[in-house]
Amino acid sequence: MSLLAYGEPAQSSDTDSSTAAEAEADALVDFTAMLQRQRQGEHGGWFGYDSKMQSTESNQGYYLEQYVLGVLDFSSQYGIDYSISYTAANVVGRPTKFPAYGDYPETFPMRTYGDWWQRAPSATREIQPQNLPKLETHDYVVVYFEEFVVPTEVAIFETFNPGAVVRIWAYGLTKHWTCLWEATESDLARPPSDSRRFAPALKKTTMVTKTLRIDFNHSRLNYYTEIDAIMLCGRTVSKTQNLLAKQQRTQQSRTLVSPPPEVIGSPPSDGTGGPISYKLRTLKFQPNCGKDGATKLHEFINNDLSQFLAANCMDGGETPPQICLTDLPFEILLRILSYLDLKSLFRVGQVSRTFYDISTHPLLYAELSLKPYWHVASSELLCTLARRATMLRKLDLSWCGGFGNVSPTEFKKFLTQRGDNLTHLRLNSCKFLNASCIENVGIVCDNLIELSLRNCATDPPLLNFSCLANLKNLERLDLFQTYFETELLLSMLEGNRKLKHLNLAFCGVSVNMDNVAAHLATYNTQLISLDLWKAHFLSARGLQSLARLHQLEELDLGWCLREASLGDGLFQLLSNCPKLKKLFLSAVRGTTERDLMHIAALGKNLEQLDLMGILNITHERVYDILVHCPKLQLLDLSFCDNIMDRDFQLLADWSRQFNVDIKSSRHH
Amino acid sequence: MDVEICLDIGGTRRTIQQAFISCCEQLLEIALLLTHESGQFLRRLWRGSSQELAPKCQEDIGDGTMSRSQDKPTKSAQTKTTGAGNLVGEGDYLRHEQKVETQLPRLVGVACGFAKDQIIHSQYNRGKFGEDAWFMSSNSQAYIMGVADGVGGWRNYGVDPGEFSMFLMRSCERMSNATNFAPKRPELLLKRAYCDLLEQKCPIVGSCTACILILNRANSTLYTANIGDSGFLVVRCGQVVCRSKEQQHHFNTPYQLASPPPGHDIKALSDGPESADTIQFPMQLGDVILLATDGVYDNVPETFLLDVLTEISGIGNPVRLQMAANAVALMARTLSLNPKHDSPFSQNARKLNIDASGGKPDDITVLLATVV
Repeated sequence: MSLLAYGEPAQSSDTDSSTAAEAEADALVDFTAMLQRQRQGEHGGWFGYDSKMQSTESNQGYYLEQYVLGVLDFSSQYGIDYSISYTAANVVGRPTKFPAYGDYPETFPMRTYGDWWQRAPSATREIQPQNLPKLETHDYVVVYFEEFVVPTEVAIFETFNPGAVVRIWAYGLTKHWTCLWEATESDLARPPSDSRRFAPALKKTTMVTKTLRIDFNHSRLNYYTEIDAIMLCGRTVSKTQNLLAKQQRTQQSRTLVSPPPEVIGSPPSDGTGGPISYKLRTLKFQPNCGKDGATKLHEFINNDLSQFLAANCMDGGETPPQICLTDLPFEILLRILSYLDLKSLFRVGQVSRTFYDISTHPLLYAELSLKPYWHVASSELLCTLARRATMLRKLDLSWCGGFGNVSPTEFKKFLTQRGDNLTHLRLNSCKFLNASCIENVGIVCDNLIELSLRNCATDPPLLNFSCLANLKNLERLDLFQTYFETELLLSMLEGNRKLKHLNLAFCGVSVNMDNVAAHLATYNTQLISLDLWKAHFLSARGLQSLARLHQLEELDLGWCLREASLGDGLFQLLSNCPKLKKLFLSAVRGTTERDLMHIAALGKNLEQLDLMGILNITHERVYDILVHCPKLQLLDLSFCDNIMDRDFQLLADWSRQFNVDIKSSRHH
Repeated sequence: MDVEICLDIGGTRRTIQQAFISCCEQLLEIALLLTHESGQFLRRLWRGSSQELAPKCQEDIGDGTMSRSQDKPTKSAQTKTTGAGNLVGEGDYLRHEQKVETQLPRLVGVACGFAKDQIIHSQYNRGKFGEDAWFMSSNSQAYIMGVADGVGGWRNYGVDPGEFSMFLMRSCERMSNATNFAPKRPELLLKRAYCDLLEQKCPIVGSCTACILILNRANSTLYTANIGDSGFLVVRCGQVVCRSKEQQHHFNTPYQLASPPPGHDIKALSDGPESADTIQFPMQLGDVILLATDGVYDNVPETFLLDVLTEISGIGNPVRLQMAANAVALMARTLSLNPKHDSPFSQNARKLNIDASGGKPDDITVLLATVV
């Protein structure tokens, strides 16, 4: 189906994609090469004039540099949406800070950096991790420009900790996303420590676009990355050419959607040289993959098989194993296929009827994640999957359904058919969601253990009263940047006594956090992690309620206590929650020297501590904390007014001495 | 010139002489500047007729960065026709002349001011006179201007009082170009800017008074929000037809937006943005708006202000407006340094049996705008 149809070569970052096509020997080779030739022919006529853009005639279009006109979508931002500081809207327009390097409120930072969030107690595992590309996307932003152009350059102005951009996508007139550039490991290896105008060489294309999506991967970052502006350069298209290009693209895409029958009808022979055996060869020496497998059915057979294959391979040296895949028992084949990503699984199904039968086995579709395939997810794909995934347990549809590709009706149908056994459901940044979709989730999926609705802010709020009141088994609820009605949350907290992880970051101003805290302390005493980042508004009273959650391991109070004085709330919290590993007190300006002494005295298990923007922290207190918290790995002291540039050397020394990653802001 | 000396020796012949001499110096500099400005203006007019300037101005307004090529930072005087003033004036002037919507009123605005202590604030920063800050901007929906007066008491806590007011005005300016700008809600703009200030990683400590005016293009109504004792006057046919309400806790202690340093939150006065006093007032052609900080109102009697403002009614020439603004600012400056002057401030003080004779040296910011 469509997964096959848009199967671009995996190494598409390679500018010369014909070699990439060769590397992946499969049915699409000829077709891709044909396309390539066709495109090159066009380039000769069109892109040959790149250097002298001024001299071209007006009906050829002219070279244009444009900045972002507006932000369509983003996955996370540091700031809160009523503010203009640290928000995604700051990428609009020209760079305001660009040659300068530093942590500026006029730019767009995202919520996380490094792998600290993956090391916290609240970290989640990806569903169907084999789908993920090598450099997975953590965050994204979708921006649009004023004019349609044929993109020749995309420049990203990075003013703080550059090096997080991993992919650049363009949305064409044909309503398909095309990856214009993809980073390789080496691109991210050495992130520069100065601001830069990042303009990677794009894949040559004739597509016409004015919408871009930039993907970010934070894993290599030392601190938040900040984007000042994005520029799209390219040649505008005159009206006639516009139409021509449109026609061309529709023709091409039509052929893409339904490849000629002779191409699809010639499968690779018996898997000796095809993608399956290629995949097998790369996979069989990874015995620890067993953890990721979807089924536990044949664990022991799996071990036998890998030994068998390994032995076979050693006999033949370089030659591939001399058995035919279809000789293997069904269960083993199933096991093998369970390592395949969804795209390969769909391709395998086209080999023969046997493989089709195996590749559509429900056990292979017990855990589904379309997040890495957000650009091809559509109502039709959901429909196909609904037929196959009769044993669906975990579903991740995050980022899917932008631009109306997934209809709410189709989603509801899917859920009604396959939702009753669901235990994990992630619908982060799903633009197609409406109140009745959520209502449906509440009615059908009553076995849910995890529900993730990050970044689903709509007006009126998606989550109004009673739509999810049915759920009684939740252990994880993620409402990051999603507005909800307080009554609903309180009744959900009351109903889900087993709740372990709760994320209320950026929740709307209408919520009284003190009430929520009191409810948590009464009903959800098993809570392990709680994220209240920029949630308004917790007072010292709420903090005292939170101190009754004895199992807490992670607490993020960043920006939510504001100027309120803490009283002895922090002392109570620290003494009642000895397991606390992660404590974020970013911009909790009421933190006093006494509170810091309590942290040093009681925070024996602390691993991550954020004291960003707290005034009057002295060196003695920092040293105290470093000495008395032996497990500490991360300490953020940015924007603490007493700890400045001149202490840089001292902090570096401490960082080495105590093996703690100390963050500090350097003013310029 | 040092204000402290003036206060100490109070009224000796020498200080008055000093004041006089320095005022003359400043006048000279202003005159020099004005000739420069008018030259620039003429040049731009020439170019404007060949339609070169209009798109450039549009672009500048669009992304919020105002060009201020005409500013000359080498001059030590603090009086400038700033980029903003010119843009609001000429840029839109040219644009609107070319389009058909000439019947809509437009606002021509200029700014002028003095820092109280010229030695500390000898460097000219755009949008700032000492601890006062101001901004002017315009978008497709409205003209926006505002002033904020940083409360000087924070200096004792090691805090720069100008930072708070400056940041608030910069936030207002940026937000007036944002997509969710509400052209009838100045108090919302003020509230958002204040919230934005609290969202800064690097804490900004202090407090200030603020006054924001929005002239809605669609219905030519003035929407205002005011906290504290900065304020505005609307003058029509020699009469004050609309004025802001002064908000004071007690004498010389205005309402103020504040972000106190930790530990001071109980002692410090903090009036939330919701305590802003709002006014709606329909404007007419020929109306003159004066938006100024208390440095002006405390020193210049209203009759003096009226004289100047009446004179410039209906004048759309930014250079002449600038001269009027300079006159008001200079008048305020001179009177504030005159220890014999029976200022409105000292009159008010006397009513409360407080001894504060003479002018009240303070930062002075004057924003002058006419509807034409």
